[in-house]
Amino acid sequence: MKQLPTKKLSSESRMAYALLAPAALFIAVFMVYPVLYVILMSLFKTNKLGILQNFIWFENFVKQFQKAVFWEVTGRSLLWTVLAVLTKTVLGMVIALCLNVEFRGRKFARILFIIPWASSVPISSMLWKWVYDHEFGLLNHTFISLGIMRHPPVWTGDPFWSFFACLWVDIWIGVPFMALVFLAGMQSVSRDLYESAEVDGVGSWGKFFYITVPSIKQIIFIATLLSSLWTFNDFNTIYILTRGGPAGATDILITSIYKNGFEWLRFSDAAVMAVITFMILMVVSIVYARVYFRGGDEAL
Amino acid sequence: MKKVFLVAALVLLLVTSVTFGAGQKEAARPKVTVFWALYDGLTEEYRANLQSAFMKEYPHIDLDIVPIPWDNVYDKLTTAMAGKNPPELCVIGTRWALELLALDALEPPEKYVNKATMDNIFDGAKEAYIGGTLWGLPIAAGARVLAINTDLTDKVPQTMEQLREFALEAQRRTGKYGLVMPGKKHTELTDFLYYFYSNGGEFFEFKSDGSFGKCVINSDVGVKALEFMVQLATKDKVVPAGYLSQTRMESHPVFYAGDAAYVMIGAWADSALEQAGAKFKVKYAQIPGFAGKKSAPLMVTDSLAFFKDAKYKEEAGLFVDFFYRDEWKAKFDELIGFPPVTKSAATLPQFQTPLYKALGDAAANAKPIPLVEGFAEMTDVVWDAVVMAYLGQKTPKKALDDAAREIDAIKASYE
Repeated sequence: MKQLPTKKLSSESRMAYALLAPAALFIAVFMVYPVLYVILMSLFKTNKLGILQNFIWFENFVKQFQKAVFWEVTGRSLLWTVLAVLTKTVLGMVIALCLNVEFRGRKFARILFIIPWASSVPISSMLWKWVYDHEFGLLNHTFISLGIMRHPPVWTGDPFWSFFACLWVDIWIGVPFMALVFLAGMQSVSRDLYESAEVDGVGSWGKFFYITVPSIKQIIFIATLLSSLWTFNDFNTIYILTRGGPAGATDILITSIYKNGFEWLRFSDAAVMAVITFMILMVVSIVYARVYFRGGDEAL
Repeated sequence: MKKVFLVAALVLLLVTSVTFGAGQKEAARPKVTVFWALYDGLTEEYRANLQSAFMKEYPHIDLDIVPIPWDNVYDKLTTAMAGKNPPELCVIGTRWALELLALDALEPPEKYVNKATMDNIFDGAKEAYIGGTLWGLPIAAGARVLAINTDLTDKVPQTMEQLREFALEAQRRTGKYGLVMPGKKHTELTDFLYYFYSNGGEFFEFKSDGSFGKCVINSDVGVKALEFMVQLATKDKVVPAGYLSQTRMESHPVFYAGDAAYVMIGAWADSALEQAGAKFKVKYAQIPGFAGKKSAPLMVTDSLAFFKDAKYKEEAGLFVDFFYRDEWKAKFDELIGFPPVTKSAATLPQFQTPLYKALGDAAANAKPIPLVEGFAEMTDVVWDAVVMAYLGQKTPKKALDDAAREIDAIKASYE
């Protein structure tokens, strides 16, 4: 009788599994279990400590979808993400192009640009909170002193301006990352391509659109995906600046999740919004991955 | 090579276990954790001195007084409770006691605190009586008063209408703001309740059994109070221009800087003014009622609560006895500016100032915040209504009508 071949792990594989086990356990306990518990909370009625009570299927979802404020907050989250990521990508690209040019003090300029991203987000947000302060803030003081505006708006108290004030802080913090990633990509593009293009009489715009962008296309994809995920969930900036106000004008899904879960102890409602956030970001990631890998196949 | 790697991993594991074990041994002493809400005026020096003095007297007990901004205490407490790791003690807004009781989280302090300490506390300050049991020791109990910057005005208004008139006059004459009024949503609803209570407003109807019925903040008195606030802010412009971006803690520095004539404030006023280095003189008066209405200032009490699932409650009781001694509690009261809740401290000379006299007078007519489940969410709803009225997105009547409906729905969800 023929003997079926047995799969035996080599000693190296066994070692690899053994060394990965602690990290895997950590991820299972501190990431997988909380995610699964949140999904369960969205399907159960919970008490004020988030302990599951009764299984109610999708009743929590139906209740949430019937609230106008849920759709407002979701729409605002998408708008927030699109505007912030777009601006960060464009500004990041411009800064990367500037930093890619040889000039005196380039190293120092690169260090300066990293500072907003290297500082902690809450610290940066608190700093901008003071910059925006109507009575004592640097921004209004500058505008009034220079005669640019005599009556500047209440940046974090006006429904229109508060959204853009928060958006700007998120952009300010996130641009250095984009710039550095794009710069790293640009530095790996062969100089020969640019030299050939120059010989052929291609101008700066042409070099940018036909050499630089295609060469760093994959990096742009990855950077914008990461930025989208981080921006969609940017809790610190909004919470510190406006706490979602005034009158909900800057509330996005993540701040709404916090309010429902930790201020009002409505864990089921918070869990529903968390699951929906998870699904939105999963869809975005899948779309990105398909475009990215299809681009990789075409390159082959 | 593989063997070397394996040995290195084992050594690392061993070192980590020994260090952890040593840490565990060190932590074998009972550890009392106190969640310490940061009142205006309360200094880090006081907290550190209290902690070290207690541990000097009780060297077998480890004490950790964890300072937390007021706005974050509720979140931190519920997170600790959800993680089955509540503190032994926490400073709570007395209005939270109902919700904490519904979670079966509290334990009566009488089980752990000395009778002498309990007897030294004024009975009138013990607000956390629910169902005949006291669920928290009063740590701060104070009404609110009107503070007047006498460099800008010395007029004492007898009605809200007069307050408006005097604030406008002071603004026109001095170029400073007439009145401080925060307009940004925050944890406390006090800045709406000042005007609401001054017009005789009630949050809820009372049923025949004394329990709360329908929400009535949208009654005529409520609407008039909110219309008055909107007028002060948007038509008279007598409050700081950036009021919509200022919580209470962010707006009061405008008064401390001498840039406003009037502010409604609590017992921390003297302490906060001293810390801000204010150079002007301040007079205190009652928050007036609207014309024809009696002054009904807000009374806010906070309590120190014991948590059922905490481990070292006996030791926590020792800390409470230590803290309520005059040398510590009186100093605490002085720093935060609240009138003393203990009988022995009330006779001390530092509590015989004009501010304390005004607070004592205010307490006679003061009204507390209603003790009802879900009040944190209701606070949010009312604040949204107030801000929408300020922004002109809704009329005060519509804003309060919508808010009352939402509040009834919140209340019903807890019944």
